[in-house]
Amino acid sequence: MDYTSKKKLTTFFVYFCLIFIVIISIFPVFWMILTSIKPTSETLSGLESLVVHNPTLGNYSAVNKIAPMLYPTMNSIFVTFFGTVSTLFFCSLAGFAFAKFRFPGRDALFLMVLVTLLIPQEVGIVPLFTIMRSLHLTNSLWSLIIPRAATALGIFYMRQYCMSVPDEIVEAARIDGCRDFTIYTRVILPIIKPALASWASLTMISRWNDFFWPLIFMRTPKKYTLMVTISLLPVSDGLSTPWPVIMAGTSIAVLPIIILYFLFQKFQKADLMAGAVKG
Amino acid sequence: MQASLFYKAQVWFRGSKTERHGNVMKNFQKGFKKHFNAYLFISPFFILFLVFQLFPMIWSLVLSFTEWNGLGPKEFVGVQNYVMLAKDPTFWTTVQNTFLYWLVAIVFVLFFAMMVALLLSYKPLRARGFFKSMTFFPYVCATVAVGLIFNMLFDFNAGLINEILRMMGLEGVAWLTSTSLSKIPPMILYVWRNTPWYTIIIMSGILNIPADYYEAATVDGANVFQKFFKITLPCLGDILFFCFLTLTVESWKIFAEPYVMVGPGSSNMSMFQYMYQNSFVIFKMGYASAIGYILTMILLVFSLIQFFIMRRNGEA
Repeated sequence: MDYTSKKKLTTFFVYFCLIFIVIISIFPVFWMILTSIKPTSETLSGLESLVVHNPTLGNYSAVNKIAPMLYPTMNSIFVTFFGTVSTLFFCSLAGFAFAKFRFPGRDALFLMVLVTLLIPQEVGIVPLFTIMRSLHLTNSLWSLIIPRAATALGIFYMRQYCMSVPDEIVEAARIDGCRDFTIYTRVILPIIKPALASWASLTMISRWNDFFWPLIFMRTPKKYTLMVTISLLPVSDGLSTPWPVIMAGTSIAVLPIIILYFLFQKFQKADLMAGAVKG
Repeated sequence: MQASLFYKAQVWFRGSKTERHGNVMKNFQKGFKKHFNAYLFISPFFILFLVFQLFPMIWSLVLSFTEWNGLGPKEFVGVQNYVMLAKDPTFWTTVQNTFLYWLVAIVFVLFFAMMVALLLSYKPLRARGFFKSMTFFPYVCATVAVGLIFNMLFDFNAGLINEILRMMGLEGVAWLTSTSLSKIPPMILYVWRNTPWYTIIIMSGILNIPADYYEAATVDGANVFQKFFKITLPCLGDILFFCFLTLTVESWKIFAEPYVMVGPGSSNMSMFQYMYQNSFVIFKMGYASAIGYILTMILLVFSLIQFFIMRRNGEA
């Protein structure tokens, strides 16, 4: 086999594998949407489940009757929004300090940040719950936001990114009379925008999909986030809920974040150092 | 008081070099003031860490030696919780299950992540952006939601998986209703959902490998496998180590997957799930804390082993 045909074969193989992986990646969600628009009269078993004869939105109103979706949706949006904004702010601030300041104990403190990654926060969940109760944060959405307002992984990521910002820019700003926080808002933030965008999309995903924390800290259905609400769907009212209705519920929970994710993809393509260093 | 603590910390971190100067305290205060903003900027993390992570961890060690229903008085019982755990067959089942979840996660997540990352970094690939965002797709979907979908896919009678098996002339498998197999759907879900995350991490590592290495290897006539084992893998050492570490921590606290895809009894229950059940369903807080502590110890042992391996490799 000569060189070009070998190359062609490799390319074909790569595309084939990737397309296969993409199909596996999106199939469950594709199937979920199909099922959610199926009238309850149509069969769900086996391959028949892939055909929809009379698409309907009835399941969506049915799921809303079993478990009202308005409050959970609002709660999820609230937690995701404030969770993401706070994490971005505190992580980038700390990342900036670790990357661009020289202060005693810096490296040891940074090592400590990394070591905290090794012990999951959830292990101390029992006392954590007691602490939340004494702070009057149980059944409050803030209990899902505050403890993770600054995460070790976020600081690590932001530090890596801030390290690539040339020292000269920071020095120049300092000579121009900028104070530390002004340097952060005026110089660092604009430069690290791509990092902020990609960290924002990752944080959004994990906050939106968070299940364990709301399950524990939220005590009334009105305060549940979408994930907790849909996890209760299969057995609501003591009966088993029909699958298309459950799938309508999961669609409501999954689709917003998918749409948001694809919107955020656009921002991530921005240039790393666009216009920061001249010549 | 605070300043002196910081001073001690400073001496500790930098050696006693500062002590040679005359007025140490004054120097330090000046230094602290000078670096005040830096400390201020990193303080949120440490405050949150102390209040919501370190303090609960210490407290939960204390709790693990007590019997407590969450509201009433705590009763000190010594190591009774741990003794009971050692005799508790359900607990051992959950340890075994979690160990298997971890093993499967390490092997399959890292293997698939590596594979997808290599495919995505194939040079002549077009529409890379499309493939990148599509292969990341599983991570965007919530575990709970996909767990519910999987419940339907793996249904014994009507599920698509069994239907396909039957079409291939095989028998349907009782995925979630059998004791021995009920761990498989949560494993598949875990691997399916977490692979993309490690793919992007590994991929960022692959992109950082200088292209000259491969060019030089091509000139020397190396084939694809030689390039992979002699260049890619060694260059990814640190990244893979990082992936291994975080994946270990993450997979030992697996919760939502087996929680949503319930198997019979405790057949696919994870340690974390058992801890949740003890603390927030039947309110045996002391017992739950003991489980949490054993989990912590396991993770600590893992970290130590990894630390020593890393150090030995570093010295060699």
